[in-house]
Amino acid sequence: MLGTPLDVLPYVRGIQMILSGYSGYTKGKRRDADKLIREEIVRAAGRTRSHISNIHDSAFKDGAIPIARAAKAACTEIDALVEDVDKSPTGMDHAFFSGSRSASNSDLKKLIKHDHDVIEMVTKSVNIANSAEHGFNSGLSPEEIIKLIRQCQQMTTSCRGFFGTRATILGGLRQKKKLKKE
Amino acid sequence: MSNVYRWRSNPTILARLVNANDIQTWKSKQVILKPNEACAFIIDGRIGDIVSEKIVRNVGGGLGRYLGDMLGATATDRRMLFAMTGPADISIPFESNLPNGSKVQGFANLRVQIRDDDIPKLLNMFANSAPLLDRERLIKVLQHELNNRVIAPALSQCQSGEDLRKPDFQEQFEMRAEVEMRSTLSTLGFTFLKAFVATNSTDSEKIAQLRSELSAATQTEGAHAEALMERIAIRESATLRRIECEVNVAKAQAAGKVSVEMESELKELRKQEAQWEAELKRDQGRSEMKMKEASHKTEQAMALFEQVQAKKRARINQQHDHQNQRMDKQNDIQMKMMEMAAQNGALTPDVMQEFLKQQTAQKAVDGSGGDMPSSMGQQTNSPKVCPGCGNTVQAEWNACPNCGNSL
Repeated sequence: MLGTPLDVLPYVRGIQMILSGYSGYTKGKRRDADKLIREEIVRAAGRTRSHISNIHDSAFKDGAIPIARAAKAACTEIDALVEDVDKSPTGMDHAFFSGSRSASNSDLKKLIKHDHDVIEMVTKSVNIANSAEHGFNSGLSPEEIIKLIRQCQQMTTSCRGFFGTRATILGGLRQKKKLKKE
Repeated sequence: MSNVYRWRSNPTILARLVNANDIQTWKSKQVILKPNEACAFIIDGRIGDIVSEKIVRNVGGGLGRYLGDMLGATATDRRMLFAMTGPADISIPFESNLPNGSKVQGFANLRVQIRDDDIPKLLNMFANSAPLLDRERLIKVLQHELNNRVIAPALSQCQSGEDLRKPDFQEQFEMRAEVEMRSTLSTLGFTFLKAFVATNSTDSEKIAQLRSELSAATQTEGAHAEALMERIAIRESATLRRIECEVNVAKAQAAGKVSVEMESELKELRKQEAQWEAELKRDQGRSEMKMKEASHKTEQAMALFEQVQAKKRARINQQHDHQNQRMDKQNDIQMKMMEMAAQNGALTPDVMQEFLKQQTAQKAVDGSGGDMPSSMGQQTNSPKVCPGCGNTVQAEWNACPNCGNSL
């Protein structure tokens, strides 16, 4: 395993602002880094879900069914994201048995940048959910609240899809490079 | 003997609290945590790590741990709280009434999940009960609250059994379940995901179903009857058609026989007709030949007759010429004698009278000589009858022109 490439160090620093234990996919820490990222996504999704759930409960009790309906849809999407992240592939410790090849600098860059972008995206989702709850409690119009909730749902969906590309990158690591015939 | 400790022996088990001190085996045990399993360690009353997707070695048993316990080198109380982290469906039966009094039975399905961070909350569940949580126990825990806080209020908004089947009811039920049950589930360590209700048929629906079934049975019977009638009609038409075909065939066969007979008879008739025609031609030929022969004889007779007549006319003309010449000569002589008499003065009335007498007598002689044949001719030309054919012939004819018989 190679060391962390220099040109992705800013991304690593950015992630470390949120996850202090993150050190990139250095040797022997690939699974730890992966686990940290996934836990952070789940945690952020939980925060988002809490905000949206609060809106849902309040809207249902107030009889604002359209808002509650939008909130329920967002919650369902968040649950799907959590499930995707929770059951995503990690990679194996034993490359010999798994057939994995060593990660190259390009792979590390992709993974680190990907982690940074996913964290950024899920953080945005939390912020939007927070804004939606704040707007709901501060008398924002139902249309605006629904708009924010749907933005949050859209961001979650994007995050879910973006996280799915992680499997593609890790899948690339599972493919051993064919030896060139001389 | 495997050293793997299995915390879950039944698929309905959702969580289990295990006292590691109860695992007493000679060989140390390890547990393999799959992606949908997690374990929270509670060491000496404190909540420790929550692990997943990992092989946790030396969870209990073994000689080393036994010795450590004996020497007091290990924790006094070690408990492991295992849980399934995948979504779990629980079906809670209910029985309630609609506002119109209809009885409603069914199941409320809740989809819940234990997330890794919430596993320690399961201790609330195990505080005053057995350290095993399965679906049945969770149903018992949630049933009363769900019936009173979710199902009964949701059903109270339904006016009839039909409202139970509407999507609005399901949506309202899910939202209400999430609102009302979230806090309880969260306290127990569960995350609420989805909910729906499945109701059995109500009495009114059963009546409607019975009506529908009876109607369907009636329609089915009607359809069968129609099909049977149609089949009978088809068979009838087929039978009639077959009979008609057979009759036609029989008719055709009979007509064929008749036609054959007719044809044979016709052939006979034609044969006889041809025979008759041949005989007729033969007779006509014969008669024609006879006619030709007869006409030939007649022509010959007519030709002979014409020759005789021509000779006769020539002879009469010759006689007339001779007579005229003689009369002319006599007239000349008489003229000359008159002239001589006149010249001699001997032309007296007596001479003239005598002359006229002689002239008259001469004319009478000439005339009688000329008229005699005609008078005689009239007598000889009187019609006669041919003894051969019976036709009228002239008296002077030597042969009959019709039959050629000699007269």
